[in-house]
Amino acid sequence: MSVLTAVIIGLAMGVLFGLALEKSRVMEPGFIIGQFQMRNFIMIKVMLSAIATGLVVLAVLNALGMVSLSVKAALVGHMVVGGLLLGVGIVLAGACPGTTLAQIGAGYRDAWAILAGGLAGAFTYGYFQKPIDAALNWSSIGLGNWGKMTLVDLLPGGFPALALIFAALIVAGLMALERWRPWREEMERNDPLAKAGGKARAGRSAYATPAE
Amino acid sequence: MSVLAARSWSPYAAGILIGLLQIPAFLLINTALGASSSFVTVAASLAGLIDPAMLAIPYFKSHVATAKDWWQVALVAGVALGAFLSVRMAGTARPAMSEIWARVMGLRSFPARLVVAFLGGFVLLLGARIANGCTSGHGLSGLSQLAVSSLIAMGAMFASGIALSAFFKRV
Repeated sequence: MSVLTAVIIGLAMGVLFGLALEKSRVMEPGFIIGQFQMRNFIMIKVMLSAIATGLVVLAVLNALGMVSLSVKAALVGHMVVGGLLLGVGIVLAGACPGTTLAQIGAGYRDAWAILAGGLAGAFTYGYFQKPIDAALNWSSIGLGNWGKMTLVDLLPGGFPALALIFAALIVAGLMALERWRPWREEMERNDPLAKAGGKARAGRSAYATPAE
Repeated sequence: MSVLAARSWSPYAAGILIGLLQIPAFLLINTALGASSSFVTVAASLAGLIDPAMLAIPYFKSHVATAKDWWQVALVAGVALGAFLSVRMAGTARPAMSEIWARVMGLRSFPARLVVAFLGGFVLLLGARIANGCTSGHGLSGLSQLAVSSLIAMGAMFASGIALSAFFKRV
């Protein structure tokens, strides 16, 4: 595939991704930190819906033999330390790498600094890859490279069956979560664009609110 | 176009739309959704403008070589464009920085917030590149494939995120 074709496909997919991130408010710093403080569950609702959908999509495409999976190797030291840093970065930035761009598009000017810092961070890993990789290779204590391991290697059943089972479990979990924390209430309570006195023009809301 | 003009969507509708994007990612680009390696592609390209020798560094060389690399750069550029179109069509607007920064960590000045944002972005992408994935590549795509790597990375991410945000005031 030519670079131009790939770029056009990427832009089109990105526009849909960006719409979903902005409309669901999952790119709001307050929603992301609210999730980590367990006060606002919109982020986990978006993520688990996307994961369950992905599981079903990949179960079908994999069963039809149309796709092979693209799994990342479990280098345990890298996953643990990288994951811990990722969590710290998300809370300080109020964004993850993808939502940084959504914040820029939505008009948060401080997100440009997240982008600049992110480029510097990505450069730093690439430049110091050798010493960082050496320090995070914990194979001497059995936590080295576990390879492209998935739950299919640990549980009975092939990928399509397991994927559908996990998707069903996630849907059941989301239904319980929705009963406990209805999304409309969470949205009304936390959406910075819904608050009176904000810059938002709330008259074109998707749904009627008590204030309207 | 009332769907696009809506101020907000159900998180489930948004999540399903994001999950469906795995179809073109796998079928057309032969990869899964991700965002953080595009930062390497752009950082390496910028570094290469200043010093072409930078592009000989193996990690940088491997991130500027294929159509897939530029697909992901276009994807994240599209994310910014999609969010921009979303707010334009809804007629909403945001301030220069979120109001929550004053509430959770007493950050009222924009320059001070820029410093924290830069630092956060640095740690964010350093971590994402060490883990070889972010909330998209591990959180969405890896978990959609039941990957053990992604379960470890996301467990660690939520653990440190929950621990650090506990020191903040309530959002």
